[in-house]
Amino acid sequence: MSSRLPGRCADLPSPRGDRGDAARAGTFAAICPPAPLLARELTGLDPVVPELRRACAVAVERLVRAGPEIVVIVGPGPRTADWPASGRLHLSAFAPALGTLGEDPEPPLPLALGLGSRLLDEGGYRGPRLLRSVHHDEPAAACLRLGDELSRLGDRVGLLVMADGSACRSLRAPGYLHPSAAAFDATLEQAVRDGDLGALRAMDESLARELLAAGRAGFQVLAGAMPGRAPATEILYAGDPFGVYYLVAWLAG
Amino acid sequence: MTLAASSSAGQRVLRLGGSSFGPQQRLVMAIVNRTPDSFYDRGATWDEAAALDRVHAVVGEGADIVDVGGVPAAPGTEVTIAEEIRRTVPFVAAVRAAYPQLVISVDTWRHQTARELLAAGADLLNDTWGGWDERLPEVAAEYGAGLICSHAGGLPPRTRPHRMEYDDVMADVLERTLALADRAVALGVDPARILIDPAHDFGKNTWHSLEVTRRLGEMAATGWPVLVSLSHKDFIGETLNAERNERLTGTLATSAICAWLGARVFRAHQVTQTRQVLDMVSAIRGELAPARAVRGLA
Repeated sequence: MSSRLPGRCADLPSPRGDRGDAARAGTFAAICPPAPLLARELTGLDPVVPELRRACAVAVERLVRAGPEIVVIVGPGPRTADWPASGRLHLSAFAPALGTLGEDPEPPLPLALGLGSRLLDEGGYRGPRLLRSVHHDEPAAACLRLGDELSRLGDRVGLLVMADGSACRSLRAPGYLHPSAAAFDATLEQAVRDGDLGALRAMDESLARELLAAGRAGFQVLAGAMPGRAPATEILYAGDPFGVYYLVAWLAG
Repeated sequence: MTLAASSSAGQRVLRLGGSSFGPQQRLVMAIVNRTPDSFYDRGATWDEAAALDRVHAVVGEGADIVDVGGVPAAPGTEVTIAEEIRRTVPFVAAVRAAYPQLVISVDTWRHQTARELLAAGADLLNDTWGGWDERLPEVAAEYGAGLICSHAGGLPPRTRPHRMEYDDVMADVLERTLALADRAVALGVDPARILIDPAHDFGKNTWHSLEVTRRLGEMAATGWPVLVSLSHKDFIGETLNAERNERLTGTLATSAICAWLGARVFRAHQVTQTRQVLDMVSAIRGELAPARAVRGLA
């Protein structure tokens, strides 16, 4: 661990604005869905989505093995903000019976960041991490700028993007069936599959809101962090077991 | 015969229609859907004659209240106000004609529909969507009707919970339902005709619904009569890994717990079984004598 890299967000250095795209060649990313049911204990006795969890573990393993100087976890939250890197997943807001916040002095993390932190912990990552929530209505331009900023935090920046697609893919989906959901998600998947992150820049904000696709902001942060390149990608999972589109992927630098 | 009184301390008399119900009376509200697609009965009473037969049956089984609804809770094909009125108003008028004293509740969140239903003879507005239409209490007050103040977590009508989270779900339930009740009183609804409902499954995941069940006593402690609507809901299905037609046992078990913790009205599909559960709870609490006790007494 380099001493100039932070253990907590408050210690972060300013982004190094003197770096060009070449410096960002060291940015790589994993994508995992911020679905509550990713937390094994939330689904009760039935693991429900073991293959989804395995895929997430593989994606994060790739991220950790790529040797990041710092990992930035990006995910939806109540506001665009940094959160303490020492924060961990709390599930009491989703399942009161699973424990209270107790004496923990830290404010509870947004779920997406908590899930990401847990994935990193389980992946054996012990290096510096930055936790950045992005409001689901953050405009595309701001998301792209944020991605650019994050990519300049070091020579080898690992992004863990906690984002997913629409929640309107079936009659039983949380947002019911929306005729545009399938095409929206197909575009998203194709962009990631092709490493064509430029396509993510054009994601329609109002349609995303309509489709309950809070992941739109995170995907655009990703596009801002890896501009002008077509990274080699690997789709580890794509599916919608509950009408919400989950995508797990690894984007090599 | 009253065997014990302590369990109902602080509870008020509930007035519905022309009837008054004491704190120790546990009431069954029978569900009568006027929809072709409700989640449990799948349109069994879509036909008006079948719906009236259902009313005759549940009255015979001892239902204290019937609850008539024309719009399913789940998202789906839009049901306009005009269509909702068409489905429910003539039917409520027919039920009123057949049963002048029966308490009729109507499940609607829209004040326009509510006005027509109250004019047709309904007594109680079951506002499952948590005060989405702010004019509903005005209409209740205008007609001297009752109002059920529910918690839907702020969700719009006919939407599903998606990643809902609460710092403290019961605190949110109390805050929202009590605010709705206070507002209704301020707008002129008779306080004796107001109930509060945690609305299991509405704006809640299964863990949340289990939590509000476990802590239902906190709602009863407010003094407002508590209604629970549990029948065959998803939180029971998920807890027991049971399909829709396999949830009666879970429904009845949860009903017993809620009754023990102070709920007073139980919205249900199965009236006879629910009545038996409630009578059993009342007897265990010492608030109802056994129907016939001779064992060991000869």
